[in-house]
Amino acid sequence: MDEEYDVIVLGTGLTECILSGIMSVNGKKVLHMDRNPYYGGESSSITPLEELYKRFGISDSPPESMGRGRDWNVDLIPKFLMANGQLVKMLLYTEVTRYLDFKVVEGSFVYKGGKIYKVPSTETEALASNLMGMFEKRRFRKFLVFVANFDENDPKTFEGVDPKLTTMGEVYKKFDLGQDVIDFTGHALALYRTDDYLEQPCLETINRIKLYSESLARYGKSPYLYPLYGLGELPQGFARLSAIYGGTYMLNKPVDEIVMEGGHVVGVKSEGQVARCKQLICDPSYIPERVHKVGQVVRVICVLSHPIKNTNDANSCQIIIPQNQVNRKSDIYVCMISYAHNVAAQGKYIAIVSTTVETSDPEAEIEPALELLEPIDQKFVAISDMYEPTDDGTESQVFASRSYDATTHFETTCNDIKDIYKRMTGSDFDFENMKRKQNDVFGEDEQ
Amino acid sequence: MSSKSSLLKVILLGDGGVGKSSLMNRYVTNKFDAHLFHTIGVEFLNKDLEVDGRTVTLQIWDTAGQERFRSLRTPFYRGSDCCLLTFSVDDSQSFHNLVNWKKEFIYYADVKEPESFPFVVLGNKLDVSERQVSSEEAQEWCMESGGYPYFETSAKDATNVAVAFEEAVRRVLSLEDRHEHLIPTDTVNLHRKPRSATQCC
Repeated sequence: MDEEYDVIVLGTGLTECILSGIMSVNGKKVLHMDRNPYYGGESSSITPLEELYKRFGISDSPPESMGRGRDWNVDLIPKFLMANGQLVKMLLYTEVTRYLDFKVVEGSFVYKGGKIYKVPSTETEALASNLMGMFEKRRFRKFLVFVANFDENDPKTFEGVDPKLTTMGEVYKKFDLGQDVIDFTGHALALYRTDDYLEQPCLETINRIKLYSESLARYGKSPYLYPLYGLGELPQGFARLSAIYGGTYMLNKPVDEIVMEGGHVVGVKSEGQVARCKQLICDPSYIPERVHKVGQVVRVICVLSHPIKNTNDANSCQIIIPQNQVNRKSDIYVCMISYAHNVAAQGKYIAIVSTTVETSDPEAEIEPALELLEPIDQKFVAISDMYEPTDDGTESQVFASRSYDATTHFETTCNDIKDIYKRMTGSDFDFENMKRKQNDVFGEDEQ
Repeated sequence: MSSKSSLLKVILLGDGGVGKSSLMNRYVTNKFDAHLFHTIGVEFLNKDLEVDGRTVTLQIWDTAGQERFRSLRTPFYRGSDCCLLTFSVDDSQSFHNLVNWKKEFIYYADVKEPESFPFVVLGNKLDVSERQVSSEEAQEWCMESGGYPYFETSAKDATNVAVAFEEAVRRVLSLEDRHEHLIPTDTVNLHRKPRSATQCC
């Protein structure tokens, strides 16, 4: 403290740690602080299990059947990585992969008429699937070929569709797709949580379907990856990157005050000392007066002693409950992982149900998902506010990140990172900016 | 006997300022730089060596300064084969803090059998004139803590540096169950090119 930095970062959520890593790699002098003794903030993985019980105000100790507390690493937010998504690109460019191991999520399922159906991962599975009829399948296949060939820079691939004008609803009509196929495509492939996209120009939806297909093609089984030991390893890995490039880390560091002068940030006061800075990045919890609430997410962490029924005994999977199946506006998601990912004791599974809150009784809203998981050994219910910054940082040089949303991937988080980067630096984000600057296994070539 | 190559992750752990980066640089590059600005961007250094007829590659990890405010966590600790607990002989506080560093290591590296884990203790800066920690005191702590080997080193003049690392390797190799490392099955390599087969959906 009592020093001058280019950037101070408050909170060690994934967004903040990735930005800290990028800034350090690019030669900025970074101070990164968190009031907690662990990395991750809202995106951490809680260990040991006793800490999770304490966090959720459960006064009993975990029962013996839960095994060793240290074997648990329980994610607070349920997400997977798209195998071809932006976060994977960030991991590859920064080589933060060296700290992490990933497994492919074993399957993706979609809820329809009270039952779950596997989202096909091969053509054979698609032909056999009961999700749609045979004639629908032929039209759907034609549609998928169109999407795969679509290149927004090559009008020959457009087949009469205008990427910036034709709505996605019109594209579906062009291919004569029925409602079941439309629901499946929009929610299980493009991963939209609502149906608002139908009235929007089709380019974004086409790109999202492409991302799903390309991610699925990468490893098969599903488009998703998950890190051993839990999602909390991700912010820690990026924090390590920042430290290697000179970033200073202080966990367990309370923030008393953000010091502003003439409407712009000049420093952070902690335990009576002020560290000065030119720019500040923080998660919403550090700066409540500069963010506003935009909604709520409900997340229910369920501990099970069994795989979810009808998932072919998968050790990991996603289930999508499309909103119109349960008379809601937003989809409900289930993300399930297990002891196979070093996040639970042997024989235990963790299924996390999440959705955007729509009523005053969010637990009742997710009842259809909880029914799929019974019997449940233990539930941990969190209802979290979602915040967005009220200020773009131009004047204040304070850049608040957005809260984690109910999506089960990190594309929106990466978009937030890119947006903050642009506002901070004035330049468009480029993945090349994340590359490590020198051979940091120095000495290896000399042997 | 055939020489069998393996990669060992070795970490140097201790208070900031005791000379961990200097020890690492002295051992791998045989250089000593009082300012150490060049460690920016250095995550670990590799060194090949032969010990008792076996060839191993040491991957020696730098703390990158995260120990200064006790912010080291699993990316640094996990997967370590050996831990060199390091203090400075002219700083008694750094010696007393070894017990905390050992505790932190066992916790975050998730060591299953702490009693048999290969710790080695280094008392660095032997070249300075004013000691605060005597050899006897350090030896006693090492003996009581688990019979750890103790070396008094100087990164500055290269005293005992190589012999300390070599003893660390011996300790690792002597563990009978070393090959039972829990290697996760069916993980994927993100760097590998995607499969060429076309997929539906």
